[in-house]
Amino acid sequence: MTAVRPRFDPVVHTPPRLQVCGLLAAVDSMDFAAVRDEVGVSDSVLSKHVRQLEEAGYVDVRKATRASRVRTTLALTSAGRAAFAAHVEELRRIAGV
Amino acid sequence: MDPSTAAAQLAALRTDRAQLAARVVPPWWYDPCLGLVVFVLVAAISLRYAGWVYFAALAVGVGGLWALVAAYKRITGLWVSGLRPGRTRRVIRVWVIAYALVVTTALVADQEFGVRWAMVAAGAVLGFGVTFLGRWWTRVYVAELREGL
Repeated sequence: MTAVRPRFDPVVHTPPRLQVCGLLAAVDSMDFAAVRDEVGVSDSVLSKHVRQLEEAGYVDVRKATRASRVRTTLALTSAGRAAFAAHVEELRRIAGV
Repeated sequence: MDPSTAAAQLAALRTDRAQLAARVVPPWWYDPCLGLVVFVLVAAISLRYAGWVYFAALAVGVGGLWALVAAYKRITGLWVSGLRPGRTRRVIRVWVIAYALVVTTALVADQEFGVRWAMVAAGAVLGFGVTFLGRWWTRVYVAELREGL
């Protein structure tokens, strides 16, 4: 197993984004609504943070229309997974665990 | 950032994963239905000379698999690949070995000894097996999520 190098990431760091990355790191993809329910924020707040993660190339956003309803799915990109893993290592280093 | 803030953020991430563990568990009927789909797909090989019936059986199996994936996504709001890295790979290794052994044995029985029901029996064994392997896979995944980062 390759050791992850600790690296503080300002994009991942902000608590709602850290939570979003933490959830998406454990799955392949997750519905926007499911992420919103788990994180406990409004649609608009989550949209804002997802857009920042998307602009950083960390999250892939896909929209699919089924039965005239738009379903938005979020997934961490490989760059997002690497950034999250490095940030968690940095948190561990700072916390001394 | 001070050590206590970092520790608090790590603890929050662990809590989120533990909560996610409850969401990823499929409904009780998911694994038996997956077993049924595997049975149809494997047993269909015994119909390979039956023309359209073979393709109809394959279509039922593939359609069933698609419906199961769609149902899981709709119910849980997420998707996680069975081949994901982590301890669940053990379960996949057991599945691959069992599949190779059972299908090879059934194909030899069918082709070399003319046992025409061999693939149906193989489908039943693998369908039954995947029902339990599916539950095992979920247990391993849930334990991994609950253990934290």
